[in-house]
Amino acid sequence: MINILVPLIIVFLLQLIFYSWWWIILVPLVLGFLEKDSALKASAGTGLGVFLLWFGMAIYQWKSGGEIIVTRIAEVMGAGSGFVLALATGLVGFLVALIAGYAGFSLRKVLIKEYQIS
Amino acid sequence: MRLFKTILSFVLLLTLFNLLNNSQGSIPPLGKFLNPFAGFWQNGESLDQIDQVLDVKGLRDEVQVVWDERHVPHIFANTTYDVYFAQGFLTARHRLWQMEFQTHVAAGRVSEIIGEKALEFDKMQRRRGLLMAAETTIQHMDEDTETHLILQAYANGVNTWIESLTPATLPLEYKLLNYEPEVWSTLKTALLLKFMAWDLTGRNSEMDMSIIQATLGEAFVNAYYPQHTPLTDPVIPSGKPWRFEAMTPDSIPPAFVPQFVQDLRKGEPDEDNGSNNWAVSGEKTASGFPMLANDPHLGLKLPSIWYEVQLTTPDMNVYGVSMPGAPAVIVGFNRDVAWGVTNAASDVLDWFEIEFKDTSYSEYLYSGEWIKSDMRIEEIFIRDGDTVLDSFPITRFGPLVYFGDSNLDNGHPVGLAMRWSAHDPSNEMLAVRNMNLATDRKTFYTAIEDFEAPGQNFVMIARDGDIAIRHNGKYPLRGQDQGKFVRAGRDTIGEWQDWIPYEQLPAISNPWSGFVSSANQNPVGKNYPYYLGWDYDDYERGSRINDRLEKLSKIKFGDMQDLHMDNFNTQAELMLPFLLKQIDVDNLSGDMKTIVSDLSGWNYVSDPQEKAAWVYKQWWLRLEKAIWNDELNIFGEIRKIPTRSVTARLLLKKRNLVYYDDIDTPEQEGRAEIINRAFKQTMVELTEALGPYGEAWELGRARGTDINHLLSVKGLGRTGLFTGGGQGIVNATKKTHGPSWRMLVEMGDHPRAKGIFPGGQSGNPGSPYYDNAVNDWVAGKYYDIHFLDATDIDANSKLSLTRLRNYQ
Repeated sequence: MINILVPLIIVFLLQLIFYSWWWIILVPLVLGFLEKDSALKASAGTGLGVFLLWFGMAIYQWKSGGEIIVTRIAEVMGAGSGFVLALATGLVGFLVALIAGYAGFSLRKVLIKEYQIS
Repeated sequence: MRLFKTILSFVLLLTLFNLLNNSQGSIPPLGKFLNPFAGFWQNGESLDQIDQVLDVKGLRDEVQVVWDERHVPHIFANTTYDVYFAQGFLTARHRLWQMEFQTHVAAGRVSEIIGEKALEFDKMQRRRGLLMAAETTIQHMDEDTETHLILQAYANGVNTWIESLTPATLPLEYKLLNYEPEVWSTLKTALLLKFMAWDLTGRNSEMDMSIIQATLGEAFVNAYYPQHTPLTDPVIPSGKPWRFEAMTPDSIPPAFVPQFVQDLRKGEPDEDNGSNNWAVSGEKTASGFPMLANDPHLGLKLPSIWYEVQLTTPDMNVYGVSMPGAPAVIVGFNRDVAWGVTNAASDVLDWFEIEFKDTSYSEYLYSGEWIKSDMRIEEIFIRDGDTVLDSFPITRFGPLVYFGDSNLDNGHPVGLAMRWSAHDPSNEMLAVRNMNLATDRKTFYTAIEDFEAPGQNFVMIARDGDIAIRHNGKYPLRGQDQGKFVRAGRDTIGEWQDWIPYEQLPAISNPWSGFVSSANQNPVGKNYPYYLGWDYDDYERGSRINDRLEKLSKIKFGDMQDLHMDNFNTQAELMLPFLLKQIDVDNLSGDMKTIVSDLSGWNYVSDPQEKAAWVYKQWWLRLEKAIWNDELNIFGEIRKIPTRSVTARLLLKKRNLVYYDDIDTPEQEGRAEIINRAFKQTMVELTEALGPYGEAWELGRARGTDINHLLSVKGLGRTGLFTGGGQGIVNATKKTHGPSWRMLVEMGDHPRAKGIFPGGQSGNPGSPYYDNAVNDWVAGKYYDIHFLDATDIDANSKLSLTRLRNYQ
């Protein structure tokens, strides 16, 4: 659970202040690097954390005055409904964070292994 | 293996970053766009989002803004500076992307946003001299202290709004196209005004007319392209005597056959940009007060073309529609006068063929000598591409818009230069400001003298009972038909050297008929001593409005609304009974007989559910083609065909005419043959397109109206609207074009007004005010306009109020 909540909270706070979407790369990359044991925790944990954040935030925006824009963009993007659009948003976040978390974890393994050999 | 996996995951991550951070063709950068903290999710708005207090840096005093139920801001300020600052601030709040994008279009800077595909468009905009004209104009405007203050106040207001934006609050379109707004400048307002002038400059038929004259002869042109078309009831009644000594041009250029053929009509503004306006005196109204109606016909888009606003200071209280990007009210009313506009449609743009010494284009032939041209170099920035430099010469006859693709027999290159009245500096901003302040006909006329381009028919009413119309603008002094053809730009003959004196322009006030009107038809009859142009709208709308106004008495708003929404097809009334008589009904089968029966029973009213309206329209178009498209297919293009009224007169009067014959068939066709053939062709083609005769053939379904988003993004427009009306009909609603603002005003002790435009106040597709008026506009409904004064703020607790507080 902590592997999900930590990325969720950190990305939430950073995005609230600095807006940029690529926090969902940078934070999982760093958290992945800090994860010592499990590739699954590094990748799926951060992926799920970001999924929940983006999906949840999208639903919140949709339901708090965003009905019109969400309906229009769903039509523009051929998404069918606001829920599908929110799900797609969450999945994009999940995919990016999953790969970033794994990349961070892999990098640590390579660097630490090389360090041990040398 | 681990190293490989690491590299692979980073490659994948970088690829994803690149895909999601950058636009992919027309797909926005999905990472940014879907980001729920700053992407489109943040562009939602709800009805109750009105701030009670806003701290605004740059105001000189507190400004109060009352929002009515349609989100129209009624701005109450203590100074001229603050009222225009607030107008800029609030317009940007609602329409920033639209106003900036339109200035990019005007300036030929679209490539900066969408890349190389807009390069040719940008080049053409620059060569037409829109940017050049705006630069000259803003210098001229800045010389006037009041204009400078207004423009700068507005720009400061816009910039204050821009500075307040965050990545989350950026308008949606910036997110879709992945760019950011730049600082607003007064030049941008000048660009918008020039763009409006261009959009309303009308038709570029000179090359077609030159080609037709050279191929089919002068007699053909004189017979079928007359200056005064049949049945036209001019804006200023023909009987009006002109009591002045008219100037005469020094010389009239001789006929000239251009050596360089270029299709000038491609990319010209929509030929249906027009409008209706009229005013009736108190003697014809139920209230005894004069009344005014106006509906400018323009391309219909979302965000809406107009932004409704009330501007109030201690010395001004004006209400109406503004152009997003320009201060003040363009069409509207104050306590003393109301006004409306239609496009004058007189000719203010001529084309000249220029002979150059060589391909450096640095010298051109003028009065037997080679004289230097000014070379203008335009720098066009391309998104994700190299900057392009485009240079073209500026001549005495205007900028060279088209370069010839081959040389003259003497080896000299040629090109086509465009002389346009809007190239000259003018101050329409001051005109509009003074219109907003006008107190009677005299002060209104003084104000519009500065409104040089575009030429407009200004109709006005005043509280003192005056009604008036003026064919306003700056028109070159030319000989008969001078602007009808491409001319040789080789010497002073044909060169614009003077202007028609302002006081001699067509105008009339308080006529005995009790009304004035215009609908883009010829402004004058044959007795007016100046040549203003020839390519005006046909007679139908003007004639119908005048017929109706003549008959109406005790007029109320409802009568004016009915006339705005009048779907009567005058042209069908004239022609359909005659055409039906020519139809060989015995040789028709099935549906065709039913359709003839429906056409016979049609009352000529083009309501949306009317199938006959669409069938007749399509039949007429095919008939026109059958008559003209063979003769006028010259050099691979169908050249300009005669107007509907000319074709109608021929059909009614001539049983046999050489042009009826289809030159591609061995037999000799006569009138009845082409009418029958066009009818059958219409039936076959409509059946193919719409299926068997039925609901799909109704005007509102077969044509209807689409109001697309400015970027034509599907889902952001309103399409398939069930509308009636059409070309040549007072309700000039068409597929993508039509009444962009319907306004009615009664000028009593306290003005009363109604209005509607097909959209809403907000430019944000996520706002309930983006398209809230569309359905009511389709239904022909109007909204009551609230013309407030300061006492209303305290008296009406239901009004939503925002205080714009000075914040340093």
